[in-house]
Amino acid sequence: MTAEQRSLLALDFCGLALSSPIALLSGCVGFGEEYTRVAGFSNADVGAVCLKGTTLEPRLGNAPHRVYETPAGMLNAIGLQNPGARHVVEKILPTLDFSETRFIANISGSTVEEYEEVARIFDDSPIDAIEINISCPNVKAGGVAFGNDPEMSARVVEVCRRATGKPLITKLSPNQTDIAHNARRCIEAGTDAFAVINTLMGMAIDIESRTPILGNRQGGLSGPAIKPVALLKVHQVHQVCRDHGIPIIGQGGITTAEDALEFIIAGATAIGVGTALFYDPLVCAKINAGIAAYLQRHGMGTVEQLVGTLVTERPATQCTS
Amino acid sequence: MNDRAHRDTIFVEECEILAHEAHPGAQHILRIRAPRIAAHARAGSFAHLQCDPLLPMRRPLSIMRVDAQAGWVDFLYKAVGEGTRLLARRGTGETLSVMGPIGTPFSPDPARPRTLLIGGGVGIPPMLFLAEELKRRGAPWAPFVIMGSEVPFPFQARPSRMLVPGVPEGVIAAMPLLEDWGVPSRLASRQGYPGCFEGYVTDLARAWLEALEPARREEVAVFSCGPHPMLEAAARLAREYDLPCQVSLEEFMACAVGGCAGCAVEIRTDAGPAMKRVCVDGPVFDARQVFGA
Repeated sequence: MTAEQRSLLALDFCGLALSSPIALLSGCVGFGEEYTRVAGFSNADVGAVCLKGTTLEPRLGNAPHRVYETPAGMLNAIGLQNPGARHVVEKILPTLDFSETRFIANISGSTVEEYEEVARIFDDSPIDAIEINISCPNVKAGGVAFGNDPEMSARVVEVCRRATGKPLITKLSPNQTDIAHNARRCIEAGTDAFAVINTLMGMAIDIESRTPILGNRQGGLSGPAIKPVALLKVHQVHQVCRDHGIPIIGQGGITTAEDALEFIIAGATAIGVGTALFYDPLVCAKINAGIAAYLQRHGMGTVEQLVGTLVTERPATQCTS
Repeated sequence: MNDRAHRDTIFVEECEILAHEAHPGAQHILRIRAPRIAAHARAGSFAHLQCDPLLPMRRPLSIMRVDAQAGWVDFLYKAVGEGTRLLARRGTGETLSVMGPIGTPFSPDPARPRTLLIGGGVGIPPMLFLAEELKRRGAPWAPFVIMGSEVPFPFQARPSRMLVPGVPEGVIAAMPLLEDWGVPSRLASRQGYPGCFEGYVTDLARAWLEALEPARREEVAVFSCGPHPMLEAAARLAREYDLPCQVSLEEFMACAVGGCAGCAVEIRTDAGPAMKRVCVDGPVFDARQVFGA
């Protein structure tokens, strides 16, 4: 890619200078160094890397199987295996090369208090931003995911906001009735940005043994299968965000530059790549090149000019039957 | 990961299929041109293959043989699911995207050169790779290979010219390739194949161990790959004779580079249970960590 093309891709996200709109998604790239095993892969090809979901105490995660291929996608139920926030801050962050990309922590908790404490631990670290995974079960509310309820979501955002001055990105779940309402409540509670969407919950069964394939019984569906759902959610959340200047990382099944462009047009400032890496670990350079070529073809000076430019003059068809 | 030694150790290659043979029991032997993978693979390494553009995930396959000079890599796999069934349809001349080599390989201990290699079914490939590696290293390495299968072996067995103490009379079927290398081998099955040991690989392994003098037995290390119950039996046998044992594990896999933790299995450590990734922490583990001491 030429220097000119590179400059087209640079953007500002909550005050963070990203070299590309691509963010590598939490849970797909370990704690930032794993994919550098692959020759030709570079963290410098992406604007940001979201680290693996981190809780206050270490967690072992779920029993196998943890992943399973499904039509045009995959289910995963890792169970937040991680070494705990203090270990991440003290032992892992010092090994990362912050000159290559922006590193974003991804925090989880079983209680509101846990989120707050993990956010505080990362606040006192070189991490560039904090993503809140609000899709965890709330143990004090019968295991309902925080993110499925706008009030519980807002409560988590509020305590994290209190704990840190770093940019806060709230990762919204598609597994709820009204994502736009949830987004509104999270903005009021102080989020700086959104990641839209987390995985859709799903299941697979071994018909011979009549047992669930995943050790955790259920898991999150990702990959191209969820792309249309994710795109609509980004569009809906963008309606809420645009007047507040709140940026979105659009994510869910992006595997090509064309997919990424759809999300940007729908309102995403940055785009997340996760499952696509599993098929093609070198996909990011291709997505960058494809976005840059599109911008040149359309005479745009920066990728930011394309964000939320969906043309909607043609009225949506009304259901008449 | 404090240093950067892990970086650029896995290669993504667009690989031409040089040969793709079907064998009974839905077994297939695949040879691809993959010079960088061939140059860096070690016994126990695996590769992650795009079986078909229609599938969202790759499939991990153990590497059976490599030729670093000629730049090819061989796999033996069984078409058991959608991915491997689609792979089986790919023909000579087509291209596959393959990532590799991946994983922590076997680490034979020079203090124990009598290596007992036990492979079952599609667990045979890494055993063949290890046998070839040890043959190349020469003396004092002395591998003995036991292979088991409940479908016809994907090669024409031939009567061994090498006597192996402890092996019951009439158990003469050997793998030709290993014979040619001068590595003794025997085959086991419960299907009554001619010349094969009628029973489990571990029973044949026990007969071999029993025939060794105690001083020789102390030079033995066990290496195994195959179905989980077979690995467990191999680990039990090793424990019984107080022998070190390394096993190669399988698990469903997504990224294969340590990023997703999708392939993690429970491992026993001094600090208690831990979840380790089969892809980069393994696939080879100390059997005591997997099955207990």
